[in-house]
Amino acid sequence: MTAALAPARPGAAADRTTFVALAARETRRFAVNPVFLFAVVMTAWTTWDYRKAPANAVGTGNWYPWIFLGGFGMMATFWLTRSMRDSEPVVGVTPTTLPARTAALCTVAIVPFLCGVLTLFAFLHFHPAGARVYGAFSPPAQVAVLVGQIVIPSLGGPLLGVALGRWVRFPGAALVLSLILFGWVNVATFGSLSHPDSAAFTALRLFSPFAFFTYMNNAADVTTWRGSPWLFIGWQLALCATAVLVALLRGADGRVRFRVTRTLSIVLVVAAILLVLAATGGFPHAVHA
Amino acid sequence: MMVRSMLRAGAWPAVTGVSGAAVVAGGCGIAFPAAATELFPIAFTLLAAAAAFTLDEPASPVVDVTPTGPLQRTAIRSLALLAPLAAGALLMLAGALRGLVLPWAAAGLALAGNVVLGFAVACVARTRTGEPGAPASAAVVLILMTPTLLPPVARWVSTFPPSGGGLSSNTVWWTVLAVCVAAVAVSVSGRPLPRRLPGTGITIGRDLTS
Repeated sequence: MTAALAPARPGAAADRTTFVALAARETRRFAVNPVFLFAVVMTAWTTWDYRKAPANAVGTGNWYPWIFLGGFGMMATFWLTRSMRDSEPVVGVTPTTLPARTAALCTVAIVPFLCGVLTLFAFLHFHPAGARVYGAFSPPAQVAVLVGQIVIPSLGGPLLGVALGRWVRFPGAALVLSLILFGWVNVATFGSLSHPDSAAFTALRLFSPFAFFTYMNNAADVTTWRGSPWLFIGWQLALCATAVLVALLRGADGRVRFRVTRTLSIVLVVAAILLVLAATGGFPHAVHA
Repeated sequence: MMVRSMLRAGAWPAVTGVSGAAVVAGGCGIAFPAAATELFPIAFTLLAAAAAFTLDEPASPVVDVTPTGPLQRTAIRSLALLAPLAAGALLMLAGALRGLVLPWAAAGLALAGNVVLGFAVACVARTRTGEPGAPASAAVVLILMTPTLLPPVARWVSTFPPSGGGLSSNTVWWTVLAVCVAAVAVSVSGRPLPRRLPGTGITIGRDLTS
């Protein structure tokens, strides 16, 4: 039996080398960005400060990594992406295409993602899974809730910042969007407070990059809301993929544009399915304990 | 003639766009009254960010050397503050008509304080750069959102009524207004603020003979 091997495209190795070099350079720029460093310090401080928090404050403790690593991470990548805009006439004539440079920018999200993972471990160290404050979820589902609240937003926020930086010229766009998202999470959550059994309000609460799954009125009354934390992670990852694809769409042409557009439409359909499944999964009604 | 052309050159898309976003956020607070105390501060913060864009001047290298002084330019551009102020007043009126229970006089003071703070930071930053909008709005948003993001800070200081513990919202905003008026007065006086040349340690813009 003979096998015919197609020779590797000579430019492929060079493209890979260029991409790795670009990704390393962007990662270095991101890691020393003052906004990102501020976010890391604040995340560490709030996690440490809430280590002995009373049980009903643990829910708010999960909120800080999303705000700092996700929100401020988004601002940092937005400014990082925009910082090259003025150099575009020079950089634009190099052999590296805009989608390749965008892909290199997207890789910097690994840094806040790893910070999110470390924060999750620290949070679980201070507030071990199985505690009553996590509601009626099983211990693995409790970890899934924390992953959806701490780790995935740390990845998604910076990716959204890259997409925003590629498409929006307004310099304050990341600030405005972070405030709007912060307000939206508040609005989307308030419905579940008054109507915990409502399917519509559950879907509204989960139609967001961050969601609470429990509510603690006092130490004796923990309400576990409807919705599947596992499928919510799937929805969040679909949002992350959407952000990457939207960012890559800028400057893509020909075959690359066709592929990105087709993948984007598939991801959007998957995201919609995952949102519906996340809203209908989990407990059939709110559980009070 | 000059007033019209100076106003036309303003960053109106940024000012009206961010004010529009504030109206959306505040409108959600009016639609969901339970969330009003969370969303109104966000709306007011966005209005402060909008105010920070009123002094953006992309043609500053040309404009800054014309005989029109900074006082006159700033006075004309301050008319653009009517946009965020009107948006905030509209939100408060809609909230009052909807039956929201808030101390409206204190909320009005907070609105004025937010907008003037954004403008004052932009005035100070304008002495260094032609387009202070982005950094000034970022600084203002960070300052104003701190009590919302960090509950320990909210125990010491309140930026939106009803006040919790610590300094009341009224005390904070009267103080901020006084400081902002002084900062604006100094920044438009025409005396360049000292600035350091990057990497040299040399300070320019300061009269060394006196």
